[in-house]
Amino acid sequence: MRSPVTGWLFLAPTITVLAIFGFLPFLYVAFVGFFDWNPFAANPGLVFAGVNNYRRLVFDDLFLRSIGLTLQFTFWVVLSELVIGYLLAQLFMRDFPLKGLFRTIHTLPLLVAPIAVGASWKLLTTPGLGPIPYYLERWFGIDYRMGAFENQAFITTVVMDIWHWTPLVTLTLLAGLSAMPKEPIESAQVDGANRWQIFWHITLPMLKPVLLTTIFIRLMDALRTVDEVWMLTGGGPGTATRYIGLHIWRVVFPQTDYGYGAAMSLLTLYLTIMLCWFLYVALVARKPRGS
Amino acid sequence: MNRRGLLSAAALAVLMSTTSFNAFADDAFWAKAAEPYKGVTIRGVSESTSSSNYAKDVLAKEFSEKTGIKIQFETTSWDQMYDKAIKDMEAGSGIYDFVYIEQDIIYSYLSRDFLVDITQSLKDNPSIASPTFKPEQFTTFADYFKGPNGDLYGVPMEAFLKTYLYRTDLFEDAAIKEQFKAKYGWDLAPAKDHKQYREIAEFFTQYGKDNDLELWGTTVQASSGHPASFYEFVETIAPTFGVYNWGLNTDTWAATVENGGTMNSDKAKAALNWWVGNLQYAPPESTSSTWDEVSATFSAGRAAQAFVYGENTAWIATDDTRSTVVGKVGVALPPVEPGVMEEIEAGKGYIGYYDGGAFGVPHSSKNKEAALLFLQYIGQDSVQADWAVNAARVTHQATYDDPRVQEQDQKTSGYYTLMRDQGKLFAGAPAFPFHGQLREAIAPYFYDAITGKLTPDQALDQAAVRAEEELTRLGYRKQN
Repeated sequence: MRSPVTGWLFLAPTITVLAIFGFLPFLYVAFVGFFDWNPFAANPGLVFAGVNNYRRLVFDDLFLRSIGLTLQFTFWVVLSELVIGYLLAQLFMRDFPLKGLFRTIHTLPLLVAPIAVGASWKLLTTPGLGPIPYYLERWFGIDYRMGAFENQAFITTVVMDIWHWTPLVTLTLLAGLSAMPKEPIESAQVDGANRWQIFWHITLPMLKPVLLTTIFIRLMDALRTVDEVWMLTGGGPGTATRYIGLHIWRVVFPQTDYGYGAAMSLLTLYLTIMLCWFLYVALVARKPRGS
Repeated sequence: MNRRGLLSAAALAVLMSTTSFNAFADDAFWAKAAEPYKGVTIRGVSESTSSSNYAKDVLAKEFSEKTGIKIQFETTSWDQMYDKAIKDMEAGSGIYDFVYIEQDIIYSYLSRDFLVDITQSLKDNPSIASPTFKPEQFTTFADYFKGPNGDLYGVPMEAFLKTYLYRTDLFEDAAIKEQFKAKYGWDLAPAKDHKQYREIAEFFTQYGKDNDLELWGTTVQASSGHPASFYEFVETIAPTFGVYNWGLNTDTWAATVENGGTMNSDKAKAALNWWVGNLQYAPPESTSSTWDEVSATFSAGRAAQAFVYGENTAWIATDDTRSTVVGKVGVALPPVEPGVMEEIEAGKGYIGYYDGGAFGVPHSSKNKEAALLFLQYIGQDSVQADWAVNAARVTHQATYDDPRVQEQDQKTSGYYTLMRDQGKLFAGAPAFPFHGQLREAIAPYFYDAITGKLTPDQALDQAAVRAEEELTRLGYRKQN
């Protein structure tokens, strides 16, 4: 039998890296969250504030609005990406001409850095310059001005995220579908199950582990989205697309409100963990009925 | 050769030999002073502007050739420039050896003691003090980069005005002038007040529609998610209505009228209503436009008049690879409300910002001496004229008299002359140590006014209250 010391020795490098780059910064942020600290304040040092920063957050309309917007954004992008990604994965399970080429093109957005995605979409959507406003006006009579209409800006950020990240969902689900044994589906077909019954009772339960992993990855990504949206809208018009990551960035960097930003970051982390936990309980840890 | 000819030839020879001797002596100084730092790489960060790009592409290369000091010069977006410079100086990491100091942020940097005292450093290190770097040659703009002790903390690298540009081809077209006069009853000319500006905007927007042209009456720097819109209002619009210093009472830092500020005064509300109202006569990209896009819009011929930062005036007026309105650009002072010009001339206000910036050396720099050499290099008189021609920026008084600048002045309809003669009507940003902090706190109300979510009056009322809250929290606000 091997000594547990050997195991800890193997784990030591990872634990050290995690402690230095994960745990210590976390403790530092937690510490700063209890202080008022703005280097451009009359008193630029740390001033103990107790839980005042957290109390302030509860009444901060801009923060609460950012959280609300982020949840809406996350809901729409994760749901859309799952649906579209699943349909595309099913499509790629079949044979059709130029399938390889289409799959490669479809995967290309994943290779583009988020900041470049934001810049490209900005060029595409700027009135007077980009093709999107031009054709929306010409073909559908839509006055598309993201800088003026909040809904348009919100929808555009959702569409941009779907464009960027659906390929990841497709590839993950494609891997799950490819690894799935064919026998249960064939048996169900022999037993006369229709497509919906096969999907609901066989494909979905067997795909559940992959699906859940994908949901959690995309959920956490969407909750902390910053760079694409920062480049595309800067959080505007007004604060219509100031999602929480972007809001925290503005508070911590341009506003240099380190104490309040730290409290905000910590509360957001807590909300993210709670959201994932609720989702986990609802989808995975729920006990079967009657047990 | 007669005696007169001989004398002339001798004088010319002396002049040429003196000039080449001076150039040789200058080169010798840079090589000798930089000897201990040869091979060192200094890093700098600046906003990607015409002026910075000239410094990066031309001056930094020249300097490296003469000194052997390498320069990694990063030019990036305005937001990123601040982000990088402040993080570096705050953490003391020493990544950057020189940073761009926009005129309005100098007070914050000085209050945090981020910057090296250039005057003192050169006194302490005479071996790196260039004989051709003479601070007294700068225009008075350099005063904004002096500390309370009168020493220089930044070497001015750009200074310009945000002026009123208009399309001379449209304003001087006989048929257009006739139509305009028939409609409004006065001769079409650059606007002197806001009513005239609005009428011109309305006229050319309609003219564009009637003639199926991609032409609107004005630009508006009204990005609804970027501080550029906030700046257009506080720098360019509010002062022309008689509201200065962002509407703050500089004694108590009050913002609301009831506490002695003017941020939500009737004048400020009239200004914001006028500016937001201009959006109906502006191209559709206006609510996404920062300073860059406004310049692009005007240079693309999409607007008849505009407020444009001076650093862009030269290329808009002269560079036909980037601009479609070369030779068609007029320059004038921004329009003002009746009575405001008298107030300004009496020294009680300003018509707009005297904008610009300097390069400074952070205390955290690991190569201060090499960086100071570079800063002196770009601060010499001999490099100023070409820089001014390329980027429409002037930091030395003598630059105005250079023939190259005077030639460019004609091509830009007298922009340089306007800067020299009328520069006194403009002023640098108010001395706020909380500049970025306050801007971030109140800019969202201006964004909401642009989108119509708040009326301009509501936006200013709410912004003024929020400004006082923020300044109280930062510890600056004094009770009346």
